[in-house]
Order: sequence, then structure tokens, then C-alpha cells
Amino acid sequence: MDTSSGIQEPFDLIRLSLSEKVFVKLRGDRELTGVLHAYDGHMNLILSDVEETIMLVEQVEGGPEGQTTVNVAKRKMNMLFVRGDGVILVSPPSRT
Amino acid sequence: MSDASPPPPPAEASPPPPPSTSGSPTDFLKGVVGKRVVVRLTSGVDYRGVLSCLDGYMNIALEQTEEHVNGTVTNRYGDAFIRGNNVLYISAAEAL
Repeated sequence: MDTSSGIQEPFDLIRLSLSEKVFVKLRGDRELTGVLHAYDGHMNLILSDVEETIMLVEQVEGGPEGQTTVNVAKRKMNMLFVRGDGVILVSPPSRT
Repeated sequence: MSDASPPPPPAEASPPPPPSTSGSPTDFLKGVVGKRVVVRLTSGVDYRGVLSCLDGYMNIALEQTEEHVNGTVTNRYGDAFIRGNNVLYISAAEAL
């Protein structure tokens, strides 16, 4: 049952990331990095020292169909509550 | 009435299928823990990695994860938690 990292259920991965810097991928082409303070079974998250990266994908004006440009916007927040249903993926810092 | 020949007996069940085609979805999922898998999300993004574990919501913990978008690697994560609601399918990427 025990795999190399010693986790039994997916939430163990999150539990082991408390107080660590995590990467969060959200719906709507948004990403967050910040320190994980708390979470619950919905994957509601409390993060601090957060940087949000927003990918703005736009169709090129007059360009061929499907040609897009990606503009990246960033912003910082001291403390953030993330509603769980927007979460796609959470990755802890690589443990070595 | 009595001259009608009895219908032929139903064809005998074919020989038991190989193990990979038998069992419930749960049996499949138990079988792929610890193996390389491809997890496709409803957004079309693929995650390839070693399946550490999963739970009843189909939340997934992956190791050595590569994120593939349109066939190209766009990210790598040592560990990744994927929230189950985003999962379209889990495909075994090696023999069970």
C-alpha cells in the first residue's frame, strides 16, 4: 500500500505541504504560488504571500483562425482565501 | 406443437477473458496504483505520471508528473494533487 513517499490518500500530499510554498492551478487560466496555511475537504485554501498569474489568451486581430497571443498579468496579495471548486491542481514544493 | 425441435442451447460462455478485461472499475483503479498513468482532464490537458493514490472523489496524487497540452510538455511537478471533479479519465500507460 505504502508508496515511496508514504502517502495513503491524496489529501496527505496537501497536509504535508502546510506552511510550505505551493503552486496552485485554477480554472480560467490562473495560477497561484503562495504559502499554504489551511485547507479543507473542498480544497478551499488559505494562502499567504500569494502571486497570481493570469494568462489572457486573445485571438490575433485579422490573423488566421486559432492564432492567439498570450498576455500574462501578475498581481500579489498578502492573504487569500481560494474557493475549492476553482482548484484544478496543487503541487507542493519538491521534497528531496 | 411437439414436432418443433427444441432451440439450440445457448452458446457456451466463451473462455474467461484475460485478467485485464475483468473486474470492476474499482478493481482497475486498485490495479493501477503505483503504475504509470495518463490522467486526462475535461479541459483536454493530460497529466502523465506515477499514480500514488486516489480517493472516492477521484482526487488523485501523482508523482513525477508531466503536464501535456496538445502533445507538448508544458510543466513538470515532483508531486501533484489533482481535484477529482476535473478528471475525465485515467488510462494505464504500462502493463498492469
